[in-house]
Amino acid sequence: MTAVEEMRFLRLAREAGKSRATAGRWRLGAVAAALMMVAATEARAESVLTMHIEEQTSWVQNFNPFDLGGRRQSTMDFVYEPLVIFNDYDGGKPVWRLATAYKFADDLKSITYTLRDGVKWSDGKPLTSADMKFTLEMMLKNPAVDTVGVGETVASVEAPSPTEVKINLKDVDTHFPESLADFPVVPEHIWKDVKDPLAFKNETPVGSGPMTEIRRFTPQVYEQCRNPNYWDAASLKVDCLKLPQISGNDQMLALLPEGSIDWFGSFLPQIDKTYVGLDAEHNGYWQPPAETVSFQMNLKSSNAGNAEAFNDMAFRRAFSLAMDRTAMVDIAGFGYPVVNTHASGLPPRFDSWRNKAAEGTQDEWMAYDIDKANKLLDDAGYKKDGDGFRTTPSGKPIAFPIIVPNGWTDWIDAVQIATEGLRKIGVNASVATPEYEQWQKQILDGTFEAVMNSRADGPTPFRGYFQSLSTAFGGRITSAPSRYSNPELDKVFDDYRRATTDEERKTLFDQVQVIVADNLPVVPVFNGPTWYQFSTKRFTGWVTKDEPVMNPEDHDNNRMRLVHLLRLKPVQ
Amino acid sequence: MRLSRRRLAVYCVAFLFAIVMNFAVPRMMPGSPVDSMIAQLGPRATPAAIEAIKARFGAIEQPIWRQFVDYVVGLAHFDLGVSVKYYPQTVVEVLGRSAGWTAFLVFTAIVFSLCVGVLLGAVSAWRRGGRFDSFVSPFSVVLIAVPPVIIALATLFTFGVTLRLLPVGYAYDPSLDPGLNFTFFSSVFLHAVMPVLTLSPYLIGEFQTTMRSSMISVLGEDYVTMGRAKGLSEAAVMFGYAARNAMLPVLTNLALMLGAVFGGSIVTEIVFNYPGLGLTLYTASVARDYPVIQGQLLLMTIATLGANLLVDIIYGVVDPRIREGRA
Repeated sequence: MTAVEEMRFLRLAREAGKSRATAGRWRLGAVAAALMMVAATEARAESVLTMHIEEQTSWVQNFNPFDLGGRRQSTMDFVYEPLVIFNDYDGGKPVWRLATAYKFADDLKSITYTLRDGVKWSDGKPLTSADMKFTLEMMLKNPAVDTVGVGETVASVEAPSPTEVKINLKDVDTHFPESLADFPVVPEHIWKDVKDPLAFKNETPVGSGPMTEIRRFTPQVYEQCRNPNYWDAASLKVDCLKLPQISGNDQMLALLPEGSIDWFGSFLPQIDKTYVGLDAEHNGYWQPPAETVSFQMNLKSSNAGNAEAFNDMAFRRAFSLAMDRTAMVDIAGFGYPVVNTHASGLPPRFDSWRNKAAEGTQDEWMAYDIDKANKLLDDAGYKKDGDGFRTTPSGKPIAFPIIVPNGWTDWIDAVQIATEGLRKIGVNASVATPEYEQWQKQILDGTFEAVMNSRADGPTPFRGYFQSLSTAFGGRITSAPSRYSNPELDKVFDDYRRATTDEERKTLFDQVQVIVADNLPVVPVFNGPTWYQFSTKRFTGWVTKDEPVMNPEDHDNNRMRLVHLLRLKPVQ
Repeated sequence: MRLSRRRLAVYCVAFLFAIVMNFAVPRMMPGSPVDSMIAQLGPRATPAAIEAIKARFGAIEQPIWRQFVDYVVGLAHFDLGVSVKYYPQTVVEVLGRSAGWTAFLVFTAIVFSLCVGVLLGAVSAWRRGGRFDSFVSPFSVVLIAVPPVIIALATLFTFGVTLRLLPVGYAYDPSLDPGLNFTFFSSVFLHAVMPVLTLSPYLIGEFQTTMRSSMISVLGEDYVTMGRAKGLSEAAVMFGYAARNAMLPVLTNLALMLGAVFGGSIVTEIVFNYPGLGLTLYTASVARDYPVIQGQLLLMTIATLGANLLVDIIYGVVDPRIREGRA
């Protein structure tokens, strides 16, 4: 028995001592069986919340928070509680969880987190600053598990007291706490014996979140139950999460009439009929606009003609004028997305950050106006050659495919509508549908010409803009395909990362919006929906459009799902 | 009973060919496992993490000859490698949990179709040209022609979604624990009804057609005439004399059709979310999980070759005339 196994055994034995129903594990053999019978006699009505978070053809027991591709999507938040969650529906205000505060040093070169007093791991051991220090250092040592990018920002970590963690930064970065939003703290006493933290499956996790006990795990369903030592147990009214394996939207549609799922986020065509219509009294949904979807041109394209056109603002504006955004939303998106008519591309959820000065005149490029686009290109010297397509002012041909992943039918339709518009203004654009992996690869290696893509927004609009439009990120992540480089914008980004007050950040982000709107580096078209459906049959407390206090999704990209879970109450 | 050397050599060559094809085919698809792993990380993957993943799984990007040598050496040790999609699970684990379900599905469908198809074929040959035959035989041709995907979707929509008579997914009710009890078995049975009914029409059509033509030729034999002349009942002549002898070509056909049945089970399992090899193969293909695809194709090849071998052997037992080395 290795040390890890031994520790797990001890933990199980301890749990069994508490005679919780969760103690049933085969390794305990007869003891467990006897205890299970004891547990079964103290039967009480359990509240089990059935969720659908990810599409898989078979469940694999993997709760390793560092294995982004392989972990079960209920690992973050539910097993590993975040330090602090920034609520993007509330101006990015912090919701304190494992941490109760953080403070930058006066020189901004270090930040000190204060951890909540008295928090315990699910095995009863205290959660201290040593655990957080251990986790950060493990990430620094092993870039494969560096899921939040601390390797680029953190120089060293200290633990001055059991509740304080001091992080020394490589550069001044007041945006750092936001970049730590997806950071899981793992228990040192378990993970210090793990040789390969990426390959570790962590089948019976010891965590800090509300749902740490894996009670049942089969390829078709698993149940994740209440943490016996949860620090915020008073707020937690749900006893177990139940996650049936569902392989796709079609299967979801077939399952819906059973009415067995409480919280999910699927694409359902004609949702009022296919979902709400099944049980109008209980079934509901709210699909507020999410990330901005834009057309992004490869400004570093190796094709001389395309590169010349893409780098010309007149061309990008004409491109934008050729976009029939309403058709994209209504025809391609089943009416679920919302058109984005601002040259700054600001997502509606960040309305409190909106700079009116970045709108108005620049937004005129965001209408659908073929005549105006044609005139713009004529004036800029884009002449039509024999086959009716335009060439660049220097006479080079322009021809490019817009890539969109195969199978993303709504996006493919939207790109089709875009190419129809572009062809109307004499631009030889076409649709290409590589497999998703190829699509991503082309974005990263820069062999594509143009793409329709969204960016990964953070709790404030800064991250989305910073990562997709800063020189530093250009081409390194899929959210930054255009490889845009603007020293003026980089300067504002740098200032933002040095800003210490919300007013400063607001002013700087106002500038970001103006620069982006003036230069139109990407062509925003619409904001895709958030996917969120719920049933009030067994639980109440759901976030709805009447009470839009947070991102309601249960997907792994939304940390607020933890707070959402804590709002839920079983129906008596 | 023994098989000739030539026959065994054919099997060996087929097996070697399969090994090479299993290696080559997945690699002809665009994309690589490393790309798909990085894609799985999503837009939030940091550049450092992407680099680290590339370094870790770089082994997959070794030169082709090296991959082939590793693959063959692994095979010799019954080591099919580690899955990329379900890392760090091994291919044997991944296939192990699904092979049983597909075997169950395919076996049940074959037995069911064999019973129905042979009976229909025998009766329609006996009364060839009659009203029964003129309906059943053309209908069999239709059954052979309809792709399983259409039958699967139609069945799912009718019985699963609209009438809600049968479960729409899984191999058994996920809330049950597998065990030797009635509840579990009845759940497995209910969940298998639609997939089996989807796989069967094609098989029934094939069996009916083969059985009918084979039976017709047998009906002309002297011993059938004699059986009638003896005054035996119609049923005794039909099944005891004619059908028994007419079964042989059906058996040959069965071995040949095994590949098609596996093909059909892929579509069926995807539609009904049935946790078998087909669903696994589909997921592995999408994820460019070469090790799993290889292992899966190998398993199917062995199953098909094995079935052919078995039929060869059975054939020899059933019909002494074709037993090799005597003719």
